Amino acid sequence: MKYVIIGNSYAGLSCADAIRRFDKSGEVVIISDENYRAYARPLISYYLEGKTTDETIWYKEDDYYEKNNFDLMLGKKVVSVDTNAKRVVLEDGAAVNYDKLFVGPGGTPFIPPTEGFNPDSPMMGTFTRFDDAKKMEKAAKMSKRKEAIVVGGGLIGLKASEGLRALGLHTTIVELLPRVLGLALDEVSGNITSKKLNENGIDTATGETVVKINLDESGNPVSVLLKSGKELPADIVVVGVGVRPNVGFLEGSGVKIDRGIIVDKTMMTSVKDVYAGGDATVIYDVINKRPNIIAIVPLACEEGRVAGTNMAGVYREYPGGMGLNSVEIYGLPIVTIGLTNPSNETQNVYVFQDDKIYRKLVYDGEVLVGAILLGDISGSGILSAIIRQGLKCLKYKDEFLNGNIYSFVIDNEFEIYNINEGYAIRGDFEDLPEFSRTNWR
Amino acid sequence: MSKKLTNLEEDLKKNQIEIMLYPSKCDGCESEGFAACVKACESHMAQKYGSKYAGARINIKKKENKFFPLICHNCDEAPCADACMPGARYKDLESGWTVTNYKKCVGCWMCVMSCPFGAIERIGKGHFASKCDGCSDEDTPKCVEACKKGALKRIGIKNYSYERRLSVAKKIYGPYIKSISK
Repeated sequence: MKYVIIGNSYAGLSCADAIRRFDKSGEVVIISDENYRAYARPLISYYLEGKTTDETIWYKEDDYYEKNNFDLMLGKKVVSVDTNAKRVVLEDGAAVNYDKLFVGPGGTPFIPPTEGFNPDSPMMGTFTRFDDAKKMEKAAKMSKRKEAIVVGGGLIGLKASEGLRALGLHTTIVELLPRVLGLALDEVSGNITSKKLNENGIDTATGETVVKINLDESGNPVSVLLKSGKELPADIVVVGVGVRPNVGFLEGSGVKIDRGIIVDKTMMTSVKDVYAGGDATVIYDVINKRPNIIAIVPLACEEGRVAGTNMAGVYREYPGGMGLNSVEIYGLPIVTIGLTNPSNETQNVYVFQDDKIYRKLVYDGEVLVGAILLGDISGSGILSAIIRQGLKCLKYKDEFLNGNIYSFVIDNEFEIYNINEGYAIRGDFEDLPEFSRTNWR
Repeated sequence: MSKKLTNLEEDLKKNQIEIMLYPSKCDGCESEGFAACVKACESHMAQKYGSKYAGARINIKKKENKFFPLICHNCDEAPCADACMPGARYKDLESGWTVTNYKKCVGCWMCVMSCPFGAIERIGKGHFASKCDGCSDEDTPKCVEACKKGALKRIGIKNYSYERRLSVAKKIYGPYIKSISK
């Protein structure tokens, strides 16, 4: 059996691990268009800040591929997939045959039409890959006036600006929505976050867009013109608006695509023996109760694992996931889980706020469907579990708001957490001898 | 206490030892003023990982008169390992535990957000998330060694199986149900 995996990041490697768990001898080929072994992609901003280095940014240990017997093909871009002949065609014309294929291409940065944007300039670019971070590191050194503009106030934009700020640049975030992290946060928490950014030398221009980037004769930015008519100086322009599923190479393969790759419960696409996972895949959103693209690391790993298990011939279903994210902005931890801005009248919002902490719970009837935690995030995992399972917990709302989230575990240890008296924690059940009458004394 | 079904020393060699949790026996060591397991874990972690990554991996939470030791449950396919962006948390195939490479940890708090038991916490003011490693290189985990109340015990796999069946039967059949809180 020959498995081919397109994409050498969270979903792809999680899939490879799952295959190896059930199929010790099958040939596994991992194809990546980058020239690095797997690295922690969301950490490229930490790389600019110096919190991760060239030694620690790698996602797996050094001998990961050899130890698991994975063939790694780096710097090979897949241009098309021939699902009839079961073949993956690479840019250099070579072809790789497969028995089972996993597609985890992730996303490509979306660049809104902006006059003057020139990705070939060393001072302009997007911010999703290791090469982008290295480019920005060089650009910061070349920058004379130390002025940077980041287009987009989402997670990519925020993290890019934090990285540029750490390199000594005065940074301005230009965001279309009225607040930073506009899709995840509400007004109050957005303002707290903006304030934290402003205190640390990052300006926020919300409700604004860049209409034009003024260039000098060599094609590098000089200033940007905003919708309001304001002109801001700019040595560096980073566009971090968002990503779109990178599915161009699947054209003509017969794989059904509607915004992202459509998969069934076993993570198989509309074509037999082709599986998908990660940021380019449409999965079931358990909170909004509809198919959705949720581009986060935990779900990419889960999807990859379910796909890999099925590819290795062990049936397994994926129940769907929900959006949740965690980020720290200059010492302010932020966790957003599920639905954070209520969408209809049956949903109620409960808020707790003091000078350091903000907590918001969104209930749909008795069921908790979303939460925002700012400042104090301990126990937020318990909330994630409650929200994902859709448990009724309206009677705990005051305790949750006061930060006493643990009381839910204590009360529900028997039913939900299945912790009985005599609950075993340590021990490797895989290695247990088979219990049978003959070896039972 | 059940009768001895297996030899603890023998099970230890085969890695067939469990940490057992008996929440109802935990009294938070209130009379002593500090929880013995928390203190033992804290000093052991400081010794093992250095003061930078010290901090107890076990926590006693109280509600009214009920105590509960919050400890890593060593999930298989652990949510904290899935959520870990830098790849600092991984399954150690030899010991069967999900462990942490603190050099890679950057403090993104994805694991804090993902742990359904609330067992992962920030270490002091640093940018590291603490996680129990099961003391897999020790014979007996330090928290278990320190617990004199019988809330944490170590036990061989056959004894575990026996006690488990005993308690499940009692829960379903016997007058045991009162401990289920509503």
